[in-house]
Formats: sequence, C-alpha cells, structure tokens
Amino acid sequence: MRFFGEDIKAQKVEMLKGVRVFRELSRKEILEVELLLHQRTYEQGEIVFEEGDPGHGIFIILSGKLRADPNCELLKEANLEFGPGELIGELSLFNESPRIATVVAVERTVVVALFQAEFSSLLIKNKSIGVKVLVEIARTLSHRARQLLLGEKHVPSL
Amino acid sequence: MKTFPQPGVLTLLASIVITCLLLFLFQKMIWFVVPFLLALMLCYCLRPAVSFLMVRGMSHEAAASAVWLLLQITAVVALIAGAFWAMAEAGAWRGDFSHYVSGGQNLIVNSIALIEKKVPPLQEMNLSAQAEQWLGQSSDRFIEKNLLPLTLLALKWLPSILLVPYLAYFMLIDAGRLKKYLIKSVPNAFFERALLLFSRLDESLQSYFQGLLQLTLLDAFFLALGLAALGIHHAIWLGLVTAMLAWIPYIGSLFGAILVVIIAATDFPEKAGVAYACLALFAGVRILDDLVFLPLTIGRKLHFHPVLSVLMLFLGATVAGTTGLVLVLPLFGVVAVVSESVAQVINDPKLKARYKVSRQLAVVAVSKSLQ
Repeated sequence: MRFFGEDIKAQKVEMLKGVRVFRELSRKEILEVELLLHQRTYEQGEIVFEEGDPGHGIFIILSGKLRADPNCELLKEANLEFGPGELIGELSLFNESPRIATVVAVERTVVVALFQAEFSSLLIKNKSIGVKVLVEIARTLSHRARQLLLGEKHVPSL
Repeated sequence: MKTFPQPGVLTLLASIVITCLLLFLFQKMIWFVVPFLLALMLCYCLRPAVSFLMVRGMSHEAAASAVWLLLQITAVVALIAGAFWAMAEAGAWRGDFSHYVSGGQNLIVNSIALIEKKVPPLQEMNLSAQAEQWLGQSSDRFIEKNLLPLTLLALKWLPSILLVPYLAYFMLIDAGRLKKYLIKSVPNAFFERALLLFSRLDESLQSYFQGLLQLTLLDAFFLALGLAALGIHHAIWLGLVTAMLAWIPYIGSLFGAILVVIIAATDFPEKAGVAYACLALFAGVRILDDLVFLPLTIGRKLHFHPVLSVLMLFLGATVAGTTGLVLVLPLFGVVAVVSESVAQVINDPKLKARYKVSRQLAVVAVSKSLQ
C-alpha cells in the first residue's frame, strides 16, 4: 500500500513543514502525522462544513482560500477568510461540538483534515508529536481569542 | 465506550438481511475468510503492544515490525518445540486416544446402565448392551475411516493458516494507509461521516476481538483452576482448548464439556462423581460467563439486545452452519454500524444536496479548465 514514492513523500513533508501547526515537527514526526491526515480538494463555492454540523476534526489549508459565514452577531465584523497554513474547525478537535459557521471555498482549495479520534490516539501514542501540535493549536486559539476580546479585526476560532 | 444511536426498524432489518447474505458468500470462500478473520483478530490483539512501543518513542512502522517479528520468533520456537514434542509423543498419543475413547464409551454405557437400574421398563430394552456394541463398532471404524481424511483436511488448511501472520503484518503496518486510500474515494459531502464510520467500525471490531480474547483467558483460567482442583491431568491445556472451543457459540461449549467429561471418566473410572463434578464446573463457568464475564467483555462492548443476539445466532447457523455461528455476531456488528451510517446519510437531505452541488461545481471547474 505504498502509494507515495520517495519524491512525492519528500514534497509532502516540505509542504506540511510549511504549515504553522507542524512547523516544530521533525521530518520523521511529520511522516507519522502524515499517516493521519486526509487530503481533500474543494472547488470554488463548495461547502467544507455547515453551521450546526457535528464537528469531527480540523482542516488545515495547504493552498487556496476558505471563507466562513457565521450567523453569530459577534463574528459578523470579523475578517473571516483563511489562507494557506491556517486552520479551521479547531474547536471541534477537543469535543464533537456543532460547527459555529458554514465554511465555503472562495477558490479551488486544498486542505488536510485531522480527525478528532485519530488526533486523540496520536496524543496517547506519540506524546512528543501530540504536544508540539497541541501547543501550536493552543497558540492559534489564544491568538484568535485575544483578537476577539480586544475587538481587533480578528479571525475567530470555528 | 460511546453508546451509538439505536438504528430504526428498517435499518435493523436491512442489517439482518445483509449479514445473512454475507454469511452465505463467506461460506463459499471460507479458505480466505478464516485466515483473514484470524489475521484481523491477531492484528487487534497486537495493537496494544504496538501502541506500548510507540508511547516509548518508536515510529508506527518500527513498532509494528518489532511486535510482528517477536510474534514470528515465538511462533517458530513454539512450532519447532511442538513438532519435537509431537514426534516424541506420537506413539503415546495413539494409545491415549484409544484409552480415552474407551473411557468415554464406558461412561456412556455405565450411565445408561445406571438409568436402567432406576427405571425398570428400560432394563427390558437392554439399552446398555446395545450402546456398548454400537460404540465398540463405531470407535473401531472411527480411526480407520477418519485418520486419512483428517490429515488431508489439515494439509488443505495449511496454506490458509500460513497466510495469517502475513495478513496480520500488513494489517498492522498498512491499516492506516488502506483507510486513507478508501476515504480518498468518498465525496467531500460525506467525508466527515465516512471518517466517523471508519472510527466506529474500528472501535467495534477492536472491542469485539479484544473482548473475545479477554473472555477466552478468563474462561481458560477458571476452567483450568477447577479442573486442577478436581485432579484432572493437563488441566491448563484442557482449560485453554475448551475456552477456545467456546468461540463457537453453544456447540463449542458442549464439545468442550464432552471432551473434559470423557477425560475425567477415563482418568477416574471408579469415581463417576469426578465426571459429574466436571459437568457442574462447566455449567458454573457458563453461568459465570453469561452473568459476569460476557457483560464485562464482549457484551458490554457490542451493543446488542440479548434476544437479537440469539436470533442472529440461529440465523447464522441456518445460513452457514458452524461458520455462521462463529462469524454472525462480529459480522452483524460491522454491518449494523455501516447500515446505520448509510441510513443517516440517505435520510439527510442537506448532505444529499451538498453532494449534488459539489458534483455540479466539479463539472464547472473541469469545463473551465478545458476552455
């Protein structure tokens, strides 16, 4: 079941290394995480997830752009476009809470998804990787919470 | 363990029908189904060891390879030791076999004679003498008739059994990649549902196989303990073999009980009480199984109503005989989870609409790229 040759594997590692959440991981660690990531491509206008859907994981943007359309008043003013390297749906990584916004692809967008159950098993089996990824997710969350609290033009957690 | 939502009546009926159809198909390709299931079971049982090594810093591939290699070395050493032991004991085993068969015959004949004494009308029928004659003829012919077919059967199954460790290795190493590959073909609209489905399937199978192993070990321990207390030879082996026979619901336990009673009757020909004590031990362990061990292991992990479990066992036996009895519950568990997820998708108009829109958008994107 080796579908990726070494060259493609190296490309994937480089691509994932460029993503903020995985920047602290070594090559070996990225290869471990890569096993758990699911790559998806969304066409312009395609829905990634809808508000109220049960959330089961996060999406990390590799290329393209996604836009969130929340109903929540607090988020109406926010800059809700996400580009390469950014992650969305992180609130669902810790519990299967409903999505708080509908996310649509602004242009053709490639993402990798990390499923909650697989992330939990990663945290148990490989604490070193789990902690590094978790710290980066926590940084993103705190950054977004800070922007929201200070009323800055923010990117909220979804 | 999460409690999954209960499926509707139609979904349940569909699950039952699909399970029966699959059992019918599996029966036709049993040469592959048996090693595949054994490999799957081995894989789930080895997973905790792989996780243990991963927690200590090994990569998934290295941990899986190390566990598999250790298993292979253990299996090869055990096989070589077993072969030497079998060669040394083969002569004695043949003698033991005849000895235990005649012990079993004596038990049956003596029991019938005892009943005849208590019920005079039966005495006139002379059942014990008839049984003695019939059993004597049957046992003489049994070895002659069945030794060669049994040897050929064992040789026929050898390639399939040899497949088990290799299948288990690739399941351990590549299960994640296979899952990714399968999910890749799922449309975006159903992507998260598909991930959830795989997670549930994985959870159900892991629960079932690990539960089955725990149940077998518990049964083996209590049976071995009881048999040793009664003074039966080879109590540990007998406990283990009879506990494994219990994988075949109802019939397996019956065979296990008969085996132990025959051995007890032969080892203690003058003490019929020991054989009856063995029967009582089996009944006791069975009750412990149903009331304590099963709910703690398999029963708690696969959320079937007891009536549904029994119904499925009967259906499994009707459709595919002994194979059906063994396979029906885990298969039904898998089919129920898949059916429930498919039913949820079919009944979700939002998901269907998203799928349609996604397809249209893909067509538009392809058309644009061609212009």
